[in-house]
Amino acid sequence: MSAQTYKKFESAGSSDLPDKMTIYQDCMNTFNESPVSAKRCRLLISRLLRLLSSGETFPQTEATALFFSISKLFQHQNDSLRQVVYLAIKELSGISEDVLMATSSIMKDVQNGSDIVKPNAIRALTYVLDESTAFSAERLLKNAVVSKNQSVSSAALCTAYNLLPISEVTIKRFSNEAQEAIMEVKTAPMSARSEFVSKAPHITQYHALGLVYELKRNDKMALMKLIQQCSDGFVLKNQFARMELMKIVNDLIHRDTQLFAQFQQLFNVWLQDRSSLVSLETAKTITTFAIAHPRLVSPDLFATTVNVLRKLMNEFNCGAKLGAVKVVNKMAMVSPEKVAVCNPELESLLSMSNKELATFAITTLLKTSNEDNISNLIGRITEFVHKVSDDFKITVIEAIRTLSLKFPKEWKVIIKFLIDVLKNSEGAAKFKSSVVEAIIDIVAFVPQSKELALESLCDFIEDCEYNEVLVRVLHLLGKEGPSTSNPSLYVRHIFNRVVLENSIIRSAAVIALSKFALTKNDPTLKDSIVSLLNRISNDTDDEVRDRATISLKLLGSEHSFAKDLVQSKYYYDLNSLESKLTTYISTNEDSFKTPFDVSQIRKFSEDEMKAIELKHKQDRVFKSTDNDESGNRDAIAPATVSTNKRKDNDTYKGADLHEHEQDLLESKYADELSGMEEFKEFGKLINSSKVTPLTESEAEFVVRAVKHVFKDNIVLQFNITNTLVDVALDNVSVVCSAEDPENSRLEELFTLPIERLAPAGESACYVAFKKSTDTVMKGFLNTLHFTTRELNPDTHEPFEDDEGFQDEYEIDSLFLNAGDYIKSSFVGNFEATFDQLPNEEVAVYNIQEDLSLQEVIDKLVLNTSCLPLSNTQFAPTDSSSHVLKLFGKSALMGTKVALVIKMIKSSKGVALKAQCRTEDATLCADIVNNLM
Amino acid sequence: MGNYFSSMFDRLWGANRELRILILGLDGAGKTTILYRLQIGEVVTTKPTIGFNVETLNYKNLKLNVWDLGGQTSIRPYWRCYYADTAAVIFVVDSTDRDRMATAAKELHLMLQEEELQDAALLVFANKQDQPGALSASDVSKELNLVELKDRSWSIVASSAIRGEGITEGLDWLIDVIKEEQM
Repeated sequence: MSAQTYKKFESAGSSDLPDKMTIYQDCMNTFNESPVSAKRCRLLISRLLRLLSSGETFPQTEATALFFSISKLFQHQNDSLRQVVYLAIKELSGISEDVLMATSSIMKDVQNGSDIVKPNAIRALTYVLDESTAFSAERLLKNAVVSKNQSVSSAALCTAYNLLPISEVTIKRFSNEAQEAIMEVKTAPMSARSEFVSKAPHITQYHALGLVYELKRNDKMALMKLIQQCSDGFVLKNQFARMELMKIVNDLIHRDTQLFAQFQQLFNVWLQDRSSLVSLETAKTITTFAIAHPRLVSPDLFATTVNVLRKLMNEFNCGAKLGAVKVVNKMAMVSPEKVAVCNPELESLLSMSNKELATFAITTLLKTSNEDNISNLIGRITEFVHKVSDDFKITVIEAIRTLSLKFPKEWKVIIKFLIDVLKNSEGAAKFKSSVVEAIIDIVAFVPQSKELALESLCDFIEDCEYNEVLVRVLHLLGKEGPSTSNPSLYVRHIFNRVVLENSIIRSAAVIALSKFALTKNDPTLKDSIVSLLNRISNDTDDEVRDRATISLKLLGSEHSFAKDLVQSKYYYDLNSLESKLTTYISTNEDSFKTPFDVSQIRKFSEDEMKAIELKHKQDRVFKSTDNDESGNRDAIAPATVSTNKRKDNDTYKGADLHEHEQDLLESKYADELSGMEEFKEFGKLINSSKVTPLTESEAEFVVRAVKHVFKDNIVLQFNITNTLVDVALDNVSVVCSAEDPENSRLEELFTLPIERLAPAGESACYVAFKKSTDTVMKGFLNTLHFTTRELNPDTHEPFEDDEGFQDEYEIDSLFLNAGDYIKSSFVGNFEATFDQLPNEEVAVYNIQEDLSLQEVIDKLVLNTSCLPLSNTQFAPTDSSSHVLKLFGKSALMGTKVALVIKMIKSSKGVALKAQCRTEDATLCADIVNNLM
Repeated sequence: MGNYFSSMFDRLWGANRELRILILGLDGAGKTTILYRLQIGEVVTTKPTIGFNVETLNYKNLKLNVWDLGGQTSIRPYWRCYYADTAAVIFVVDSTDRDRMATAAKELHLMLQEEELQDAALLVFANKQDQPGALSASDVSKELNLVELKDRSWSIVASSAIRGEGITEGLDWLIDVIKEEQM
């Protein structure tokens, strides 16, 4: 039994959950009794609800049976029974069939029920109505919306909101009533007992605002008017409603940045709102906008905002504090220097008993810190980290890990901290492995830190109880150890593992040991390793013996590839390896007589691999900000969880998957291409570009292009999607004409058209060229040529007599530039490498367009396909100049390319001075002259 | 002591027991109108019933639990979910709807084959007698093949829910039969 399942049994409260089948039987018996006992039924339903809410579920048939038996309880007029019945209907509607059977009974309650059950009935309607029945409930709902009773009105507004995706036509007619509900002041039902007095007065305003926004979200003018009406004076009495209005403002200013100035007044007032909710939301709106468009936010407003955030962090309310820290944290991600003034508040939060808050404060502080105070801060964190639970420790370690990428120069402090935590802090395997992972990162990207880190890790493994962590460390020692100045030091530590540990670790240690035999720094080591391995080959464990024996064999072999097997120099592209292996296994052409062909898989050298990893890591830092934002937009209206699910089912996971999918797509295209007969003679595919869109994504035909580079050829791949209904495209080809045909060094060879592109279909058209020199830069003007054939809607075949209609469709031009011949690559010491490269070219650009430094940087990185190093891909927000460092390798020759681009922003535009150094003379000029 | 006797008396006469009665029939036959005619004695405006209506009414010292189930084709399959413990079925037919008599007959006989309804009494209302061209009760009886029913107490009554004719007569008969059979 693994630790996790063991824990599940132990978890608090699970033991006293009622048995599912007993409840089911009791329910079926009691609910079908006549006469109904209201009290017993109520009790039973509450137990059923407890089961459902703790995650239990019933099979569909049983859920349906339950639903029908519960529906029979409508015969009893008891209000409190009716309320739980509604709760049960809501819960069961997800798993039961035929919930529409309750419709009439619910609608009757909406019409004639008591004030107590009316809101419940209205809310339950959401779950039973479909498009056709929603229509019949329209009158009822409208009456409820305009009801004077606040609970009834807000229930109806919520229901209307949730029904919007189900029956848009019906709900569209609610906009007048909803708008009235915003303005009207409704009262909570008076009751003799005080606990019935609503805790959220005027909540209808919030719900109504949400609905109106959903109905008008595409109508900018209407929204502007709405905001004008509502921001005037004290129209919105409810704090949630004011917050909601701010979210609408946020949405609008992101759609049209010019509107920001118009809301200045509102921002100023609401920043000082008496409700911290509203001022927080306002601050959030301003800062998110400032992140995207720093120039449009006046320094005064920004300063006020930061002050408000500081005030919020001092509030008593933990929620406000957390919200404020989150906003500051997001700001700190992109322009830490702007929120550095919050540091005193953040530091005071460190001592909070609420560890969540303290952890957030730390991660934020780590971002706002600069090279001067970092060591001081790490000192404070060390105290903190020993006191909190593993989850928080891991968060802190993650933050430190990003920090190490940001301040490579501070590696000494960081490594010391990590090692200290690793050795002295209590923690489970997950925590230890996150620390080790952080160290591995530093070792990979800050080569200077290698020896110190490895030595400390050696100490650590002398006393480590987690197999998984140990194996990782051993692998790292094997990988990095042989290239250190004193490799024999590590051999002793590794061999200790062989003597002392279990077979899993022994096998890992054997592999690590064998790598030391090939070290160049200490030739005497080989003999010692061989004799050690000889001893190990008498081990009691099969795996350990096998590994020792094969290592000995490989080390003794004369062939050079044997050495490569011991210490691999290449990494396979795992995505394409996986998909190739899957096809290999599933097709099984000759019962596996032909061996799997590894040579088709893309390989990366170590530097390339590091470049890819670094890029992913940098992306992840940015992604985490983006995710937050999209999360905000989802929550913009008072959506219940269920509608979010209904609407965003498909898109919800999109953000996380995107990066991985992009990789998969690239290797898929490369695979398709290398599998095609026509391209066989071009040889090996050397490089493929990113996917470039050539049309708007909502055009009739969506075209995206990929550029493939071969040794002597270029292939342009155009992926075309036909978005028309009932029209197929025949013989689709792309005609590419070079921009200046006279001095073209490209010769068009052939075009592979698409025979037929069905509606909603996607297919690829290829155009192949032969190039006369190694690197050719060229712009192509592209036109889509095709014959449209109208389709018979019944058969989905073209009409027989339809000759078709020849047509052309202009798409954007495509540029083949220097970047297409470069692969991004990593180098530990950029300055030294740059100085060593022999060829140098310098070019100066003056960009007249009104671009921010960040936009220029993004464009440069994209165009050169080089890897930005030393964290230079982020433009500073406090200065108008920046130096970008880029590194890559030529895809054709594998020669190094290093770029230093200095840029200065002035009122006239951006001035660039690009200094390019390469190993290969031809590439050098091409690159600097094709930057923008 | 007096309380004790009266509760025993009640138990004997079943006054505390609830009788379950289903009102079934094709859509638009007038089931919901009949239900509310019985309960509040008035004609209410109705909409097609999606699902069911249930009302409890006191009739001649008896507590009746009357279920009016929707008659649309899509809802008919769910009738069976409410068959259990049913004392009687009231089947309502639109006497002017000659085209769908056969459908009504089919649904009726299909329903009566159900195990759970073997002991239930059957009252058929030949409804909408106020409308011109309505079939008489005996014609409806023929169309529905009621004579074929064996081992079951049944009766057909001409009715008009709008005018309130025939409804109480039918119900009186039903109560008598139930009392006779079950008490």
